[in-house]
Amino acid sequence: MVDEATENLIRVLLVDDEKDFRTVVAKRLGLRGVSIAEAAGGEEALRQLDASPVDLIVLDVKMPGMDGIETLGRIKERFPNSEVILLTGHANARDGVEGIKAGAFDYLSKPVEIEHLYRKLVQAHNKIRRSLDEKREAAFRERIKQQMVVAERLAALGTMATGVAHEINNPLAIVQESAGWMQQILAKPEFGDMPRKADFDKALERIHRAVQRARRITQQLLQVVQTQITEMPDPATLTEVDLHALVQECISLVEQQARLKQIDIVLESPDPPPIAWTDPYPLLQVLINLVTNAIQATDAGGRITLALRASVEQVQIAVQDTGCGIPQSDLSKIFEPFFTTKGVGQGTGMGLYVSWGIVTKLGGLITVESQVNRGTTFTITLPVKN
Amino acid sequence: MFKTPSHIMLVDDEKDFVEMLSLRLKEIDETVIPAYSGAECLEILDKQDIDVIILDVKMPGMDGIETLKEIKKQHPLVEVIMLTGHGTIEGAVEGMKLGAFDFLFKPAEFDALTEKLNQARQRKHDQLERIRKAEAAMLLRRAKI
Ligand SMILES: Nc1ncnc2c1ncn2[C@@H]1O[C@H](COP(=O)(O)OP(=O)(O)O)[C@@H](O)[C@H]1O
Ligand SMILES: [Mg+2]
Repeated sequence: MVDEATENLIRVLLVDDEKDFRTVVAKRLGLRGVSIAEAAGGEEALRQLDASPVDLIVLDVKMPGMDGIETLGRIKERFPNSEVILLTGHANARDGVEGIKAGAFDYLSKPVEIEHLYRKLVQAHNKIRRSLDEKREAAFRERIKQQMVVAERLAALGTMATGVAHEINNPLAIVQESAGWMQQILAKPEFGDMPRKADFDKALERIHRAVQRARRITQQLLQVVQTQITEMPDPATLTEVDLHALVQECISLVEQQARLKQIDIVLESPDPPPIAWTDPYPLLQVLINLVTNAIQATDAGGRITLALRASVEQVQIAVQDTGCGIPQSDLSKIFEPFFTTKGVGQGTGMGLYVSWGIVTKLGGLITVESQVNRGTTFTITLPVKN
Repeated sequence: MFKTPSHIMLVDDEKDFVEMLSLRLKEIDETVIPAYSGAECLEILDKQDIDVIILDVKMPGMDGIETLKEIKKQHPLVEVIMLTGHGTIEGAVEGMKLGAFDFLFKPAEFDALTEKLNQARQRKHDQLERIRKAEAAMLLRRAKI
């Protein structure tokens, strides 16, 4: 059986003041596929580690200048993820025990049996890999947990907001029909020369426009609920979508707006272009939302990058801008309905809320990273067809 | 456009809405009969000839879907246009499956409403025409025997 870890290259820094010893060990470990760098003493070892870090160190305890135990302390302090195997003098187990207390992975006494050293190296190498995996997994779990908290809050907010939207729709319909009726009457020939007719027309037109605006908001709110009612997307609406083409379509729709502000939009896509199994129209709506926000957040001369990435399990679309960024304190709120930092008539605060709803419905995730004055990246992650 | 005299019924529990929309439709010379519940709608249907019904999905008591089922059972030739909120498109879909002519989101654009109204009226007219022809053919056959 081939151990998975031994397939990966094991890289070791060998620290010993005896050149002949180093040469022999390096050669024999090299035959077993270990990549070896050498250092003649503690100071040199630390310098080398600064220049090109290696996670595994084999360290002689008895060295002139900085001895092995001291070097071990320095290494552990500066590279807490590294593992050190000590080489102690014959029958000098005390050094070894002291080394383990100071954080060494293990110790071997000289003369060293190569096979034994090799096995220890493999063990230490596996330990490093395991702890890396664990860290990565913990970070992933933490991210998911945060997403869930956000999702729950958004769902609760959504329930309330849509209740309001429903209730508002009815009076809105009455306003619309009442104003519409008056418009109809004023359009009749017998009202042709009514005094101040233009004023009435103007006011009624304003009412009409305001109703339209309110209606768009209630529509968007209710659209998100729509996405929450049925958990999985209707399979009938899913198709193979060429993400490159979809992003291109999005760019063509917002290009003019970007050009007016002298903002460059670039598309980075691997070849062949990633394919997603998804519903193209809502996804396009999300992209337009994200890019429109990016344009609004970016000054002339800025740049917006749409980047596609694909792996076996998922595809990603990143929308990155060089704009004003989002302060840390706002990051947790931007997906909420009605959260906007834009003026009246400029923003409704619905774009990201609706986008979140759509992406969630498509079985994906939407995440954000941002630095004030540097820029913002929104990333949509979608599962690949199973 | 040539308009055959027809009767429209508007069913919604929201009285102000029914009144205002009726006034608008009357303004373009439609005959509108208001009803404020599903039960009232069915009562009127028993007494009066109606061509097209505009029916709100969400009503207390007998809702739009139940009302639609009864309408289609008792008066299959009457065309029904469902009025639905945006969050309740399921209602619209179910309504279509149960034989509604079409649906509109509320608040609906007046032009869209009148267009659907005309189409529904046309369909009812065509349907009646076909029935009349079929009956005529049947009579003719009987006469020959
Ligand atoms: N690319 C971005 N850069 C900086 N801020 C952003 C960006 N995208 C969204 N935001 C912030 O999130 C808020 C909410 O966005 P959105 O939901 O689309 O609503 P709106 O654009 O109508 O304000 C914006 O008002 C803005 O403060
Ligand atoms: Mg926006």
